[in-house]
Amino acid sequence: MRIVVCMKETPSTEVSKSLGTDQRLVRNPTETIQNPFDEYTIEEGIRQFEQHGGEVIVLTMSPAQTDTAVRRALAMGVDRGVVVSDPALAGSDAVATGRVLAAALTKIGYDMALFGQASADAYGGVVPSIVAEFLGVPLLSFATKLEVAGTTVKIQRQAEVGYTVAEAPLPALVSIAKGINNSPRYPSMKGIVNAKKKPVETWTLADLGIAAGTVGTAAARERVTGSQAVSTQRRREIHVGNEGAAQRILDYLIEQKII
Amino acid sequence: MSNDIWSVAELEQGKLKNISLQLASKAAQLAQASGGRATAIALGAGAQAAATALVGTGVAKVLYSDDSVYDTYLAQPATDALAELIRAEAPLAVLIPATNVGRDIAGRLAARLGLGIEYNVTAAEFVDGALAMVVPAFGGQLNVSVAFAGEGTKLILARQNAFQITRSDATATLVALPAPAAPAQGAKVSGPFGIEGITAEGHMSTEGGHAQYVPPPSRANVEEAAIIVSGGRGVGSAENFAMIDALAKALGGVVGASRPVTDDGWLPHRHHIGQTGRTVKPEVYIACGISGAIQHQAGMQTSRSIIAINKDKDAPIFTFSDLGIVGDLTVIVPELTRLVEARKTH
Repeated sequence: MRIVVCMKETPSTEVSKSLGTDQRLVRNPTETIQNPFDEYTIEEGIRQFEQHGGEVIVLTMSPAQTDTAVRRALAMGVDRGVVVSDPALAGSDAVATGRVLAAALTKIGYDMALFGQASADAYGGVVPSIVAEFLGVPLLSFATKLEVAGTTVKIQRQAEVGYTVAEAPLPALVSIAKGINNSPRYPSMKGIVNAKKKPVETWTLADLGIAAGTVGTAAARERVTGSQAVSTQRRREIHVGNEGAAQRILDYLIEQKII
Repeated sequence: MSNDIWSVAELEQGKLKNISLQLASKAAQLAQASGGRATAIALGAGAQAAATALVGTGVAKVLYSDDSVYDTYLAQPATDALAELIRAEAPLAVLIPATNVGRDIAGRLAARLGLGIEYNVTAAEFVDGALAMVVPAFGGQLNVSVAFAGEGTKLILARQNAFQITRSDATATLVALPAPAAPAQGAKVSGPFGIEGITAEGHMSTEGGHAQYVPPPSRANVEEAAIIVSGGRGVGSAENFAMIDALAKALGGVVGASRPVTDDGWLPHRHHIGQTGRTVKPEVYIACGISGAIQHQAGMQTSRSIIAINKDKDAPIFTFSDLGIVGDLTVIVPELTRLVEARKTH
């Protein structure tokens, strides 16, 4: 079985961020990290590969010139990487991103492609379904458990409270919810050394037969018109000490007509 | 293109979710501004009953289908039905819940019809004839104003609790929709709805190899709760969540958590409130032992009242709380529970 794990580098949430004059995120390549959701997805890809054999590949589309996140995935146990990088991709919206990933998946060839449920920066969570639509394949989304048997993939799908069971014939896409709790492994020293020798291919839009004008800022259907810092105006009353604290909260709840 | 505004309802286990009424209300309001008509669409088990509830929000038309195909397959039949309707009637905008189900449908619609899509929208108004929207960014530190570029129906994935439910006496037309065929290559719901730990009361579980406190289902749905008692790492252990749950029970609220708590498995993930978890807007949010990282703030900052209990007087949460208590939650929370219970008995 050939498994492709789609991942994304996101800005670290530990650093302060701002929008540039072009209303796009100011990116510093040293500040990108593996999307925290993707760790679970990569782990699941490797686990399925260990169970069923074949090949596990990581795919990313990145305006940044770093391959830190891809190398980390390789160090965890992924066989090889594909990076789609092209200056024309800057400013791409979710539909354009989905178009590119769908083209790359077709070129790679896949039985099952895995996605994180969303990226931690924009948290759109729509790319998996966009890719599924472009490819004309089923998407099993928000999986908290994943099992492949023969040519069928079966998941437990996160619901508001509890879960539903869903299945689809391969080839299929699966988005992995963080609730999968599969304890992502840390890369071992040996893994880190081996990762340096594993192949990472870089493809441009031309390699995928996608016209530059159909992606990037020019093709984006959404635009940012401004931004404003969020003000949190609160009473900020402070009560210090355990003494009388519970009574103060009770009085406050009564004042606010909550109880 | 028409000036009509549509909203898509969400049903879970045959029950209309609150966000459906919020979006239908918003659609009715936006349609007044655009000079169009508002339509709500409900698909799946319970849709016919839901249609009646949607009428009261002020929409002019409700389209519904109870067909079982919508609950048998994920997203694809709903996409087929909506794509057909959008192609035929070209509404100005469609409001879709920014939920797991809504994201799947909106993504497929955007790809199939080549439409623009904005996600996690918390405000939408017409400004100078164009839709102006707000989405939170960087963990809620920034409100980013966004607009659509280009032609075509606009898809808006709107967050839970972003819009108020309005009531109207206006009448509406109810129209039953034909159902699409089952998809040839579909993601099929093949098992029954399951739930971990179906008990009326909270309990400890060791499933998954670690100690976890599992609140009962009645105190698990944070998104629609009016009162949330939430715990962070400062609660100290999975076992200590029993006291958080006891306060939630006394207040008639639900149990929430910050990310470290669910990451460490002290509570199930469905309780996680924050940027990458659920967004909530209760009447009161009681944060116990939560320091107040920006990612958590993003999920609860629009709560009407915020009360924080924390040992650390410098915890960031005190900067955005209405009432801050510097103290030991293991003393204060049980005492507050007793006071609330005592008040109820007389």
